[in-house]
Amino acid sequence: MIDKRILILNRGEIASRIAKACRELNYTSVGVWTESEPHARHLEFCDEWVFLEGKNNQETYLNIEQIIKIAKENEIDGVHPGYGFLSENTDFAKALEENNITFIGPHSEAVRLMGDKAVSKTLAEKHNIPVVPGSIGAVKTIADAKKVAVEIGYPILLKAVAGGGGRGLRPCADEKELENNFEAVGREAMSSFGNGDLLVEKLIVNPRHIEVQILADKKGNTYHFFERECSVQRRHQKIIEEAPSPFIGSDEALRKELCDTAVILSKAVEYDSAGTVEFIMGEDRKFYFLEMNTRIQVEHPITEEITGIDLIVCMIQSAFGIDLGIPSQNWITKTGHAIECRICAEDPITMLPAPGEVTGFETNFPQGTRFDNCLYKSLEVTPDFDPMVGKLVTKGITRSVALRKMKAALDGLFIEGLKTNVPLHKVILENPKFIEGNYSTKFIGEEKPQDEVKTDFDYEKVYSMLATIEARRMGF
Amino acid sequence: MRNYFIDDEKNEFVVDLHRTEVHSSNLVEFTFSSLEDDKLERTQNIFVRKLAGQYFVSMDNKRWKKLARQDAPNIMLNVNKVYQLFRGYKPSGLMGGNEGELLTQMPGKVVKIIVEKGQEVKKGDNLLILEAMKMENEIKAPIDGTVKEIYVKEGQALENGFLMMEVEKA
Repeated sequence: MIDKRILILNRGEIASRIAKACRELNYTSVGVWTESEPHARHLEFCDEWVFLEGKNNQETYLNIEQIIKIAKENEIDGVHPGYGFLSENTDFAKALEENNITFIGPHSEAVRLMGDKAVSKTLAEKHNIPVVPGSIGAVKTIADAKKVAVEIGYPILLKAVAGGGGRGLRPCADEKELENNFEAVGREAMSSFGNGDLLVEKLIVNPRHIEVQILADKKGNTYHFFERECSVQRRHQKIIEEAPSPFIGSDEALRKELCDTAVILSKAVEYDSAGTVEFIMGEDRKFYFLEMNTRIQVEHPITEEITGIDLIVCMIQSAFGIDLGIPSQNWITKTGHAIECRICAEDPITMLPAPGEVTGFETNFPQGTRFDNCLYKSLEVTPDFDPMVGKLVTKGITRSVALRKMKAALDGLFIEGLKTNVPLHKVILENPKFIEGNYSTKFIGEEKPQDEVKTDFDYEKVYSMLATIEARRMGF
Repeated sequence: MRNYFIDDEKNEFVVDLHRTEVHSSNLVEFTFSSLEDDKLERTQNIFVRKLAGQYFVSMDNKRWKKLARQDAPNIMLNVNKVYQLFRGYKPSGLMGGNEGELLTQMPGKVVKIIVEKGQEVKKGDNLLILEAMKMENEIKAPIDGTVKEIYVKEGQALENGFLMMEVEKA
């Protein structure tokens, strides 16, 4: 066994997850830490740690020059970027290639083609894959944006060319809203992705967000691992995902068509890693290609749960040209249903980020619960990073079993001191439309589960807390 | 002993501990009661037991619940509010701020200031844009009035609880 050294260029739960995969493969995992997070929990899972100098993300996690230098000094064989940060940055993938370091992800050309939403859309059209009507390439001025919007008709969606993760996205119902948003979205795109170019697209009414997991090796084998539905979103960021999609349900023909389309597109760019092809599906079950994410996604665990594959391990193997051990597409099957709730440090009602300190953390989960997280007692959640602190995943033989387990798991997740969206998740899991599996990306906006979050003062909890304080004081 | 739970908006809950009974070396019973508007609202017995280094609590000495271990339990989370716990005394002069004062609710960076000093604003108007947690948040006027003072500059990084702007009531 040749020992490889993997630099994990990320933090939080995904860094821990990658470190676990490295351990399984008997590779050395090298974690990174920064001044703002000296006690980051992911370091616990890594074999070695290196320090990234700098005051903010721009100087640390996004600083290609420093990262290349550190990788060379530490004799790194491969870099896993996780999601966010440099995971979909062509310059970074290229810089690694030039320095003979493996980028654990697709080849840089695929990142470039799919990273630019205008280019990826043209490419999809060339392969007869339906796309949402909109501007051809970026709109440079507000006047251009208005012209396209009139052609395709309102409502429209303003979208950052380099966007992702729900950032740099804003719906506009009419010309006035377009005027109000154009500048702000451009600015958000510039500060988040370093590219302020925008696209204009038609807004699909009551859309479902359904995506297909792809895994490919360097020998031209491309496999899909079925779909995920991620329609429960707030501010265009997913909060609950499930696999398989309840909207597609038992329509195996549609499922096959969707998954095959994703494979065709992946093959078109000679994709050679783990990736996700995102589609938007209208009420009429017609689907349109949205974008391809050329990285591992936050919600990958639910696919792992229903297919039994370890996507991170396969992604690392694929990057080093190691056989994935998958005989054929037919060999990949799915069992049961998996659901994921993203646990975020935010107010459960306003859904705005709420940084703070975790004063207590305890779990008491039902059998089979998976909780990918970066929580620990005394963790300080700062505004420097994404507010997501964990991903709660349950699985059942049917969707209703998975939901039952999720309810029990949420009841058994105790996070003290930090506001989280756990109470909101509990309300969503009781919502009739959600239970039916009949919901679109407008779910939060229309059903307003946040209004049903009960805020009554929990006397039982107060008494229990005071009682334990007293007991401790008495020396119990 | 009297305990005060006070949140950011000065909402207050008062809980008294007035009985402690030690049943055995690992079981103790407490009686708490809550006051609302100086009136006794509810009384509750609580049992505490320590097992494997962990506290378990019960209302009836039958059904037991685990509780998250807290090191310094001087704050308590209740759904969307964080309460400060004061045991045995009530603090004075907690958090100032009148209704026209805009304080940061979380650390962030000023992206854009939309209004000028002296400008008239309506409740809900956007006053400035604050970037926090990688999102742009519009800070809206809490009341109708005029912008009395702006204390921040574009690009400035702010701590939590920082006074950004004052609006004088019309």
